[in-house]
Amino acid sequence: MRSGKEIRAIFWFVSALFIIFLILPVLFVLIQSFRTDIGVGFGRYIDVFTSNGFLEALGNSFLVSAVSGVITVIVAFILAYTVNNTNIPERLKKIISSVTVFPMLLPTITYGFAIIYSFGKQGLITNILGFAPFDIYGFKGLVIGYVIYTLPIAFLLINNTFKYIDKKFIVVSRLMGDNKLGTFFITCIRPLMGTLGAAFIQSFFLSFTDFGIPAAIGGEFEVVATVLYNEMLGSVPNFNNGAVVAVVMLIPSALSILLLNYLEKFNFRYNKTGEVEIERSRIRDIVCAALSIAILICALSIFLVIAIIPFVEMWPYRLGFSLEHITSLFTDDSLLSIYVNSLIAATLTAVFGTILAYGAALVTSRSRISNKCKQIIESMALVINTIPGMVLGIAFMLSFSGTAAQGSMFLIVICNIIHFFSTPYLMMKNSLSKMNESWETTAMLMGDSWVKTIVRIVTPNAGYTILEVLSYYFVNAMVTISAIIFIVGPHTMVITTKIKELQHYAKFDDIFALSLLLLVTNAAIKGIFNLLAKKKTAKKKADKKANIENINEKGVVLS
Amino acid sequence: MLELKNLKKRYGSNEVLSDISLDVKDGEIVSVLGPSGCGKTTLLNTILGITDISGGQIIFNGEDITKKPMQQRGFNIVFQDYALFPNLNAYKNITYGLRNNPGISTKEEVDELIDLLDLRPHLNKKISELSGGQKQRVAFARTLVVKPKLLLLDEPLSALDGVIKESIKERIKYIAREYNLTTIIVTHDPEEALTLSDRVLILNKGRISQYSKPEDIIHAPKNNFVTEFILNQLIIKRNNIFSLFGEQYAQTMA
Repeated sequence: MRSGKEIRAIFWFVSALFIIFLILPVLFVLIQSFRTDIGVGFGRYIDVFTSNGFLEALGNSFLVSAVSGVITVIVAFILAYTVNNTNIPERLKKIISSVTVFPMLLPTITYGFAIIYSFGKQGLITNILGFAPFDIYGFKGLVIGYVIYTLPIAFLLINNTFKYIDKKFIVVSRLMGDNKLGTFFITCIRPLMGTLGAAFIQSFFLSFTDFGIPAAIGGEFEVVATVLYNEMLGSVPNFNNGAVVAVVMLIPSALSILLLNYLEKFNFRYNKTGEVEIERSRIRDIVCAALSIAILICALSIFLVIAIIPFVEMWPYRLGFSLEHITSLFTDDSLLSIYVNSLIAATLTAVFGTILAYGAALVTSRSRISNKCKQIIESMALVINTIPGMVLGIAFMLSFSGTAAQGSMFLIVICNIIHFFSTPYLMMKNSLSKMNESWETTAMLMGDSWVKTIVRIVTPNAGYTILEVLSYYFVNAMVTISAIIFIVGPHTMVITTKIKELQHYAKFDDIFALSLLLLVTNAAIKGIFNLLAKKKTAKKKADKKANIENINEKGVVLS
Repeated sequence: MLELKNLKKRYGSNEVLSDISLDVKDGEIVSVLGPSGCGKTTLLNTILGITDISGGQIIFNGEDITKKPMQQRGFNIVFQDYALFPNLNAYKNITYGLRNNPGISTKEEVDELIDLLDLRPHLNKKISELSGGQKQRVAFARTLVVKPKLLLLDEPLSALDGVIKESIKERIKYIAREYNLTTIIVTHDPEEALTLSDRVLILNKGRISQYSKPEDIIHAPKNNFVTEFILNQLIIKRNNIFSLFGEQYAQTMA
């Protein structure tokens, strides 16, 4: 490994990109928030905080995000426990894992409308039950939306730690005479504590900064996200006050992510995970499976409407089957062009985002560039994680209005790449740092240049992760709304921002048809990438098997 | 001939190698032996050229190569974990160096190496399909194809088990003789070092404790460290083996 000119070039490119498209725009928002008619000061802040309803909206945001966080963590824990600590059939475990993350394929703004069409006065589930189970506008609706939205992330976090908990400790704890509750606490809850905390914070952060759900279902119940939207794009925009609200949204978000990183240090780490048979208990298995299935049915039932409404003549008045909405989607040029825009934005984001994440990860995990440079990239990845999409979007809006980039596809793609950079970067870094650290040295001794080694050796071996990152970027670029709502132009409308516009005209048939199209696209992309990735892992598994057989005959081979 | 003159390596205020002066003759096998943290891997890396030295000189065949970058020294290394490329099969790994320097070994020479290392049946296998010993031999072949002027081996036997260890040892000796290849081996195992090499360099806390032929180390240990950490280990091993085979056997051996 070395810090050749290529690595330094990548470092400078990545840094420049982050300075221009992250640091400077966000600083600009900060400056704007302090700029008053009479100079510089806290005037705007006083203005905003004393204005009607702002403090209430802020309180609402905290309350509804915290409540959603707690519920999400409990639900996610039940699902993860079922998957990891019971003897239910493997197939059911797989179904639970994949259905739980299904909502990730849809934009949050769709959740909101789906909840309305499920639990509203004319809602599907209301019709089936014969009564509306609760008032969905406001607090309860938001909680349902946020829980569905953040459940996949919380589940992935908890499930991941769960996998690495050494189950041998269960045996040890039982042998030492702990009772069942004691064992449960010491071998399951205790090692998960850090992750449960992290899942809560993550869930809180996502809910606190989400725009899609309150945009659809918030009603009179104002939260910070809706206040922010109204300040920027409402009927009486006030950019300076918007900047203040953005800063107010930024602070708790940044704090929660910093706390998350701090808590990371307290996570349990097991070096090795032993494969141990899980204690047999039919009651536990049945209860867990039933709970999990019930949870997933509830979550899925809300999305049922997305699959139904587009095929109904006119919900809820004429319930006959009709393909009218679907055909109009494909014949209406304006709607079709929006779908094409979404595809272009997502594809470009996936391709260039992956390249960026790969380059940045090469710098931090496979080079001998100074630690300072590595830390700079690391902190960029951290900083971007603390900045809510809405704040990033507003920063872009304020910084690039009036430039040639305003409303361009270029700006949307850059915004998406920066917005979602953190996770792909970490995935890449994780994969690259696990590779043999002597490859570059070895290849160089064989006469390779650095670029040759990267092309011939490192990239082919990172194939699986590259696929994962591509699909992560694509799906997220398809469903995102919070940042790009502020920067799309008339010719660069994408599905999610169009949905927001269609809401204005109450064209819900189109909303659901577009959502369905988006869902199908995302599912197809995910499916394709999963298939490709599976091919790679299947190969690996076959290799492993061959390897074991090989070891058995090793003595013969070598004698 | 490789000569090290007053070689020093510091990391901050921590001196990892102090005042190392020695020579290695052409075709000689030298083992660098010492406990973990004694500086043996650092020494290997400085000779290879991955690590810059803080003081002293490295001279090869009369030429001062201290400042020469790694790629130009013409040395090569087999890493402890082999660093084979998993996306290429065994044969493509072996011939990797030919992609950049097509003429460096002829087809016949490559074939000879493959047969010498018994790799013919495994050429089309993936790296993950190879056993530890096979991987080791592929890594060897890959390195030898580019004809290094000096071969460095980092703990070449530590990942292998019993029988294979002995057979690889024989091969290392054979190759060094056959190709008159100067070979420097890092190891922490006294038995390995003393049975494999012409001379053994014992390092302790970054300094040379003794640099002699194996028999001199056994019969004329220079200091306490050599006696306590190197010889005692061997004596315990010897006694264990003797008691295993019975006293009688020990006596006939003596």
